[in-house]
Amino acid sequence: MTTLEAVKKQSRGCKPTEPLIFEKHVEHIIGVDLPPLDVPETKVPSVFAGGCKTLPSFGQHDVMAHYTHLSDRNFSVDGNFYPLGSCTMKHNPRVNEWGAALPGFACLHPLQDEDTIQGALRLLYETRTMLEEIAGLHEVSLQPAAGAHGEFTALKVIRAYFSDHGQPERTVVLAADTAHGTNPASCTMCGASVQIVRTVDGQTDLEHLKEVIEGVGAENIAAFMITNPSTAGLFDAHIKEIADIVHAAGAKLYLDGANMNALLGRVRPGDFGADAMHYNTHKTFSTPHGGGGPGSGPIAVTEELAPYLPVPQVMMADDGSFYLDRDREKTIGKVRSFIGQFGVLVRCWAYISACGPNGLRNVSDTAVLNANYIAAKLCSRYSMPFFDPKNGKFCAHEFVTVPQDLLDKGVTLIDIAKRMIDYGVHPPTMHWPIHDCLMVEPTETESKAALDSFIDVMLQIADEISSEIELILKSPLESDIARADEVTAARKPIITFK
Amino acid sequence: MDYTQLNSTQRQEMFDAIGIQSIDELFDVIPTEIRCEDELDLMPALSELELQRAMAEMASHNHGAHDMPCFMGCGAYDHFYPALIDQLISRGEFLTSYTPYQAEASQGSLQAFFEFQTQIARLAGLDIANASLYDGATAVAEAALLSTNTTRRNEVLVASTMHPEYIAVLRTVLSDVHIKITMLDATDGCIAPETVEAAMSDNVAGVIVQSPNIWGQIEDWDACFAEAHKTPKTAGIAVFNPIACALLKTPGECGADIAVGEGQPLGNALNLGGPYLGLLAAKESFTRKMPGRLVGMTTDEEGRRAFCLTLQTREQHIRGAKATSNVCTNQGLMAMRATMFMTTFGSEGMCEMASQCWHKAHYLAGEILKLDGWKLTYDGEFFNEFTVECPCDVTKVVDFCKVRGFLPGVAAAGRRMQGLSKGNELIIAVTEKRTKSEMDGLVALLKEVSL
Repeated sequence: MTTLEAVKKQSRGCKPTEPLIFEKHVEHIIGVDLPPLDVPETKVPSVFAGGCKTLPSFGQHDVMAHYTHLSDRNFSVDGNFYPLGSCTMKHNPRVNEWGAALPGFACLHPLQDEDTIQGALRLLYETRTMLEEIAGLHEVSLQPAAGAHGEFTALKVIRAYFSDHGQPERTVVLAADTAHGTNPASCTMCGASVQIVRTVDGQTDLEHLKEVIEGVGAENIAAFMITNPSTAGLFDAHIKEIADIVHAAGAKLYLDGANMNALLGRVRPGDFGADAMHYNTHKTFSTPHGGGGPGSGPIAVTEELAPYLPVPQVMMADDGSFYLDRDREKTIGKVRSFIGQFGVLVRCWAYISACGPNGLRNVSDTAVLNANYIAAKLCSRYSMPFFDPKNGKFCAHEFVTVPQDLLDKGVTLIDIAKRMIDYGVHPPTMHWPIHDCLMVEPTETESKAALDSFIDVMLQIADEISSEIELILKSPLESDIARADEVTAARKPIITFK
Repeated sequence: MDYTQLNSTQRQEMFDAIGIQSIDELFDVIPTEIRCEDELDLMPALSELELQRAMAEMASHNHGAHDMPCFMGCGAYDHFYPALIDQLISRGEFLTSYTPYQAEASQGSLQAFFEFQTQIARLAGLDIANASLYDGATAVAEAALLSTNTTRRNEVLVASTMHPEYIAVLRTVLSDVHIKITMLDATDGCIAPETVEAAMSDNVAGVIVQSPNIWGQIEDWDACFAEAHKTPKTAGIAVFNPIACALLKTPGECGADIAVGEGQPLGNALNLGGPYLGLLAAKESFTRKMPGRLVGMTTDEEGRRAFCLTLQTREQHIRGAKATSNVCTNQGLMAMRATMFMTTFGSEGMCEMASQCWHKAHYLAGEILKLDGWKLTYDGEFFNEFTVECPCDVTKVVDFCKVRGFLPGVAAAGRRMQGLSKGNELIIAVTEKRTKSEMDGLVALLKEVSL
């Protein structure tokens, strides 16, 4: 087989498959050079000498080509409609990237003296206070590296608070049956056990909440972790009552802030009784998802929980200068190295500053409007268990559809999702928070044309299911690969190239 | 600008489609008493030009490795990286994509992460690696949990010569899950194998040793892990510097079962401490217990090579409370930078970089030793970082150099280093970026300050 034939066999459509870097290695050719050594050499003792000699390399142009070709094999917010529910795939403003790359931010060593990084500390302090205001809570810690890390940190804070108040037995955390998987996993990381609270129609079942509290014993409960709007895309109308029930049990209400994009300037978690929460700056505040990170997961807490926040904390001194407080007597300690995801927080600061108070409110208003618009246009073909605008039942910034009529025609949810790829749409979140559902979150930064185009795609797919079901079953037809064999990948995992 | 794109006509059309008169109706479900009555108390919106000015203004109040020769290390290093990384990483297809759950729409990210995993595994001298964790400190904690989860034991031995922030994070993570941390005291700045031997028991899940350690000293991983392995199943956990692995023996070559480290030196800016990336490599037997995301190589239905996230049943979104970790978002873009860095340099380029670090650090140490009253704190071998005893107050040294436009190193004393020392040690790191003239300049300052 010639090289051309081999490439063609591996390729689908017009885009060639990209060989692995390990297959492209060229002996003694590297992509960049270093200046000649300008000091005398010192011999490396043979007892230590060794090291990895098997990392491939090739010339610079081919390095560029490799990653350019790879980038060509990716959907992105820049290039595609990306309505992933609960992920808030909004536009990532490039001025934020511009700012974070300024040498005065990007080239700072984390252990420098505070008098050399006053601008950076000011930015962190302002970010902290802005996030406190948006949460309606007393104090924010910028330490956590991502949302799940924020959950972990806040649960540690809550546990430390209870230990300090003579209630170390409060080790049970309640979570909704629709909670993000990170919620129970974070509990485990904190040595807390989880009790599940049922939801009915996407809302917390108050009676079941009371039953669980009684069953577990109020005195054993540390917190109830709630997502509001819920992962089903609904504001919990009873949130205040829930807070009252949780507080009456002596426990804390924790808000998973994944869905803050629906609340900005409309409701502050502190005002509905949340004692602690985390943000996902990579969702709500437009910092790029980067193919899976970096995120940043600042947490906000009430005054009574604040003494237990992790160190360091960025502070403003009486003279208006900024410093890092590393000596909090009751702190849970450190949760990551150095002082947080600074580069991500620069972008977060830029986004909030660009929006301002009115803009933030318009962000949430528009996110909710866009979701309801799509839902209204699609609900006749894609059934939506919680959406009934004629009776005043709207969704928040995302909605759930369980397209049973379509599934009954012999397709699976996966088939529908994969067909979306053919139309250049990234599939929504699937099978979560309820079975056989698609969860659609359009975000506020999509144009009406983009929303209408998505609606057309979804209606077209519904038509195809009736008229050309084979198309759906074979999809995606236009993507770089046909469906990946994930079963074999898990059964016989190949994690590295050998 | 809030980046929305609807004009009032469009909004009205959308209201009509939904059947509402005003946007407020969509929020009616929220009880009145908890709604915001006033607008948020934030600064008014800035235009992009104002934003650029404001950020440039704040950045101008910072001084760092961009305008001072930086000899600071301790877990964050001022290494060179080629300009192509910033250019490639800013491609929206990498920057603005999500975690590659949809394989058919994410082959680019998936292939890059698969290549990253392979590069990290090879660099660590082990079989497998994951697609990144938050940073070096949290990677150490995850490695400790990996060892306790696989052995069902509840004690880890930890070198006191490890980065104090990593120790601090480990303490936080292990504090509520009933895992005991036993610290291994240092002998002359390193962990003696006898110390490991004395602390070993059937209850020890892992022995964690960082090399080069916080003082820059190269530890005897071989001997420490050999002691660990005298007890069946105890894991040798190496905390490694990825640049050093291009020149010096890798964790795998020294008998480690698990290797973790801070990946920042691989093409990531200093960024005041983040975002960085945690590296985690291990022997194949740990595959199904690994925390975080793993990309696997497979085929598509038509037989082509393909990549997908795999073994997801380990992860929180499938397994909830029984997941191997709560980590969800990792450091994808930082891993992308790291893999671009490693691909650009290859082993040959990275070995040259590591060699230059070695030679330059040894040159600088030699020059400082020629000064009256200055000596190395420890006699052992070092890579790109070493510790000197200042003949005067270390704070005075740092301040003096700072005024003259140098970042001379990290003082071991003080809260910033978690009370690592009360003495006058200065930890000095030298990367390939430091020139002879910068090093000579630093030596002249050290001479002057100690006169």
